[in-house]
Amino acid sequence: MATIKDMIPAFDLLQPTSVADALSLLSEHGSDAWVLAGGLDTFDWLKDRVKRPRVVVDLGAITELQGIRDAQGGIEIGAMTTLTEIVNHQRIRSEFSVLSTAADHVATPQIRNQGTLGGNVSQDTRCWYYRSGWPCYRAGGNVCYASAPNAMNREHCIVGRSRCVAVNPSDTAPALIAVDAKMVVENRRRPSTYDAEDFFIGPSIDITRMTVMEPGDLLTRVYVPPIWANASFYFEKVRDRGSWDFQLVSVAAAFRMSGSTIEQARIAVNGVAPYPVRLEAVERLVAGTSGDEATQNAAGDLAVRGARALRHNDYKIPMMRNLVRRAVRSVSA
Amino acid sequence: MADKLVGTDYSAPDLRAKITGRARYAEDFRAPGMVFTKLLLSPMPHCRVRNADVSRALALPGVIDVMRASEVPQPEGPSEAVLTDEPKYEGEPILAVTAVDEETAAAAIELIELDLEPLPFVLDPLQSLRPGGPNAYLDGNQFSGQDGWSEFKWTAEDFADIDAGRFPANVTAPVEWSKGDVDAALADADLIIDEAIVHQSATHHPMEPRSTMAYWENGRLHAFVSTQSAQRTKMGMAGALDMDPEQLSFVAEFCGGGFGSKIPGHAHMTLAPLISRKIGRPVMHRVTRYEENYIGRARPGFQSWVRMGFRADGKCTAIDLIIAQDSGPYGAGDFNTAANIADLTYTPGNMRFRGVPMYTNTPPKAAQRGPGGAQINGMLEPLIDKAARELNLDRVAIRLLNAPGPDVGFGPRNGTLTSVFAKEALQKAADMFDWETRRTRSGQRNGSKVTGLGIGLSTYTAGSRGFDGLMVIRPDGKLYVYQGIGNLGTHSISDTARPAAELLGLNWDQVEIVWGDSSRGMPNSSVQAGSQTTHAHTRANYAAAEDALRKIRAIAARTLGGNANAYRVDNGRVMGPGGSMTYAQVAERAIALGGEFDGHVLPEGINAATVPSATMHAGTGLMGVARDNYGGEGSIYSWLAAFTEISLDVETGEVEVIDLVACTDCGTVIHPRSLGAQCFGGSVQGMGLAMSQRWVFDPQYGVPFANRLYTARPPTIKDIPTNYTWDAVHIPDPTSPIGAKGIGEPSVGAGSAMMTTAIADAMGGRCLCRTPLTPDMILAELEGRPLPFGRLDQHVG
Amino acid sequence: MGDVESVGILEKQHSRRTFIKGVIATGATVSSASYLFRGTSLLGAATVQTSTERMLTLNVNGQQRRVDVLPNETLAMTLRYKLNLTGTKLGCDRAECGACTVLIDGVNHYGCSILTHQVRGRAITTIEGLENPDTGELSVVQQAVLEQGGFQCAFCAPGFIMSMTAMVSQNPSVTREEARHALSGNLCRCADYDKILTCAMRAAELARSV
Repeated sequence: MATIKDMIPAFDLLQPTSVADALSLLSEHGSDAWVLAGGLDTFDWLKDRVKRPRVVVDLGAITELQGIRDAQGGIEIGAMTTLTEIVNHQRIRSEFSVLSTAADHVATPQIRNQGTLGGNVSQDTRCWYYRSGWPCYRAGGNVCYASAPNAMNREHCIVGRSRCVAVNPSDTAPALIAVDAKMVVENRRRPSTYDAEDFFIGPSIDITRMTVMEPGDLLTRVYVPPIWANASFYFEKVRDRGSWDFQLVSVAAAFRMSGSTIEQARIAVNGVAPYPVRLEAVERLVAGTSGDEATQNAAGDLAVRGARALRHNDYKIPMMRNLVRRAVRSVSA
Repeated sequence: MADKLVGTDYSAPDLRAKITGRARYAEDFRAPGMVFTKLLLSPMPHCRVRNADVSRALALPGVIDVMRASEVPQPEGPSEAVLTDEPKYEGEPILAVTAVDEETAAAAIELIELDLEPLPFVLDPLQSLRPGGPNAYLDGNQFSGQDGWSEFKWTAEDFADIDAGRFPANVTAPVEWSKGDVDAALADADLIIDEAIVHQSATHHPMEPRSTMAYWENGRLHAFVSTQSAQRTKMGMAGALDMDPEQLSFVAEFCGGGFGSKIPGHAHMTLAPLISRKIGRPVMHRVTRYEENYIGRARPGFQSWVRMGFRADGKCTAIDLIIAQDSGPYGAGDFNTAANIADLTYTPGNMRFRGVPMYTNTPPKAAQRGPGGAQINGMLEPLIDKAARELNLDRVAIRLLNAPGPDVGFGPRNGTLTSVFAKEALQKAADMFDWETRRTRSGQRNGSKVTGLGIGLSTYTAGSRGFDGLMVIRPDGKLYVYQGIGNLGTHSISDTARPAAELLGLNWDQVEIVWGDSSRGMPNSSVQAGSQTTHAHTRANYAAAEDALRKIRAIAARTLGGNANAYRVDNGRVMGPGGSMTYAQVAERAIALGGEFDGHVLPEGINAATVPSATMHAGTGLMGVARDNYGGEGSIYSWLAAFTEISLDVETGEVEVIDLVACTDCGTVIHPRSLGAQCFGGSVQGMGLAMSQRWVFDPQYGVPFANRLYTARPPTIKDIPTNYTWDAVHIPDPTSPIGAKGIGEPSVGAGSAMMTTAIADAMGGRCLCRTPLTPDMILAELEGRPLPFGRLDQHVG
Repeated sequence: MGDVESVGILEKQHSRRTFIKGVIATGATVSSASYLFRGTSLLGAATVQTSTERMLTLNVNGQQRRVDVLPNETLAMTLRYKLNLTGTKLGCDRAECGACTVLIDGVNHYGCSILTHQVRGRAITTIEGLENPDTGELSVVQQAVLEQGGFQCAFCAPGFIMSMTAMVSQNPSVTREEARHALSGNLCRCADYDKILTCAMRAAELARSV
């Protein structure tokens, strides 16, 4: 069968107006159904005719999935809230700025105006072999093209590989980990809440998925607890161009300070593994220090310990090391 | 007194249409009953189509036609066909499916079963040059019309040099020229800079893909085409379709960019006309961005070696240059131009050039804004800085020393120039940039940021001669200027009429530019390429205006009395000893008199291709029609000197571009604001070459992966310099009336060179000698980590 | 090419030698079977019978337009091919260039990356809708562009103008840096960016004075 990468194949469009209806439809159609949020990940797959769902469940009419509200001292963000709303939200900007800053680094304004938080965290990897429809492990096949000796893997992972060497491309993911966000996933049976860092899974758990969600599941909201409000935050995204591009490496960090001492830290890096990586050992290292230069260097070195480059992405090791250093440096006097 | 038109800004006649959505590009046209064509692209880098079973596609309701390679012209030798049964690159079109809508056409393509025989492929020119290395064609890797196919390889000894990092002094080349005595000059030199340099390919990616709409009516073809040129594309299309050009209604009012990929139109513009002729219905061939990545052309990459010899005072006295070019499957001429431009920019006096064009199974290459020149400028300017560092000389001074003066002879035949003010442009740019003060900032460190200063001096062709102008003053008193050049947005369709209108004493609101539709008449024109239209058509229109002026004066003298030479023109009137007449009256008088006045009798010397267009307008007013016979010796070249200050982050490899200061020698400036935009736009394109754009191929499967617009990484608004200042030397070219030269292309080399030199400067003089200088490349260099690929590899990143 | 460090589990299954055989100087080919896979793994191309209602009423440039729209049809395609509003351009169809930018309830979106069925009941504005429908008077942004001579080939112009329109309505006191950020979803291959930003700043100035 010859191929063409244009024109979305036909599908049945379902536009439920409640979460209950959406879950019911997802349960009914199982693996025939595709969840449509902002569409910026979806339409690439559909226009390339690589994924051809029979049924598309459009969440755009479900108002209970939209909006940002105060909840239990923290902030509850509906999964269909656009990234622009997060960028502009007063309380997020003032108390949890790492999240609004991260959201403001996603792609472009038009994409942020339509892309959702739920979509941004559930998006699929951008490995170009996989995206081109090649039957690799992640696509249900038996090989990884990107880790072949001559493969083009400049943007692939340096840690966490398990047959698959792709990376998680989300900007909001490490920020959510930095503020210890909780991800609420619902299905026909019962909702579950995941710590952000557990929401993203690696290929050793399931090589075909980027998150815990399986067919029938729906991320309905993200809860940001109050404990990291007003922390000292740091976010940086290194990329080739100043717009559109996914990260080469990114870092998001939250520091609770006591005077000039770091009381506690949460640091996450993305673009280096098939999932955003929380650097717990580094967090323990910096706690109780002033984040001075020696600590910065030690933190950076510890962050990349055990990292193993592929042929073309060796630079990610010093890049990741330096971003961790800079995160710590941001709170030093 | 009529307005001064030359050297003043104005509102281009097509701008309102562009900003209201009324401007129609090729894909915006519709015809009743229009159907849609989509392409089936090759999945392999080189293969033969043993069989294509299209029966299920044809059986799908709504499918009208499948066109095969056998139904379109198949050229001899390594030339592109619109459809092919032996694809030479992954992505080459094999067949075209036409259906009532695009959904159906796409579904039909998926019903086609292809039986493909894989053939050997090669992606990297050096691979093909290795003894025993693969060839892109079964028949070899060199082709000439005379001798046919042959195989050209370098020797094992040559590759022993290359692999050891030595200059491969003994290589032979299909193209070779020299002047002076390079070996002696190198032996005498006080300093030799010896480098291997790689410049990667980059796709043109104009904003508008090359769609076409076409239909036939009573034997006449109506074609709506995306093309840089107009009259020349029309002639080319008629030729390709083997038809009388006067039976072709060719519409190309707006072109959404080309940068060299749509100069005389493009290969696939004949597909919609061919299909439409076959099925008897209007056909829309909408080209997607994905296809544009393949059939849309790219700049050829270079793998090169150079030895430059310098005297202690900084004069370059020798250049020994070898370029292996990735010519794609169908060839390209960049490498030759690159050598000429190196000779012109540094005037060594002793030069040897060896050029090795190699076919590869990668998408086709074509001239891209400053072809050859942009590459060589970006590649060699850092070496000039290296010499300056070694010899302890000022970086501007060394360039001033080496830049050509008016007596330059460059290239293998020691060509001359009509004018050159490169030194003046460089000095003026340096002054505008305050080089004397700012050069001390080189290498200054502020936290993790290092300052780098970049200088790029670049040149490119900027004119041609011998085309025709055609204009008519009508009884409504207006001047109608017929332009056969294209409209890419450079404003040359109206800029080139401004001096003519000024000569005729007209205010701009009395001038109508007629362009974009061949059925309204197009004189013999240049192609829209090589930055030539500003020069060529200022002259052509000026010649036609002089012809019109002579006739206006003659009519005034005949009608009002007195000597024709005593009459002058201003504000749309002719005035003299016998009184005055309005241009409206002159036009009516011209029609009454007939003969040469109203175009019934045409001058001898105009090009034959202009005659039908002039004849079409005979009897409608006072006609000015003439060939540019102003003559002139030497080539017409323009220059741009660009300075930049960057801030390089040593922890991430990212670069922030703070400043761009540019000064150009382009002769007389006709449209200042447009000139500033050309200098900026080209410089940013050059930045894209230096900083972000390349191809990436999986070498195992021969398949490209940077084949989306975002993975191709053209510069965004976030990547541009924050501050921009520009000026020109404002010295007319003495060999042309008005003295204007073009400018579109030198800016690309200057923008590229200013970045490669700035980054080297920020890194203490270390030149990576590769493009693009992405953050990973810079960081790896700063961290002392080895290159992840071969030093000379192409298509990586 | 230098020695390649063996990486990953795969090397246990496929030796380096095997891979190099595929690309070595002999130009050995890869079997055709390994290329044919590179299509979708799904079967056939039969169109799905859809139960989605196809006739829609869209609010486009202040007018109610009734149009037959497939569920898999994007807004850009509907505008261009069903409503004859060709001012919105298709530059890439993949949200990577911005030439298709339209306003939906005053907010700029990529028309190529939203289904027409997703924008029922919302106010859609295209480039054709900016000028006064009765007098033809240009919008403030269009006037600024005309005055400053913005754009070159102008294929990106409609998209940029829509983004500028959203920008000045949200923040007419925008700085040049903020304008750069607001317009960072629109690509210009002619790279007329500097002049485009000048137009945007002039548009903001005109908007403030209205």
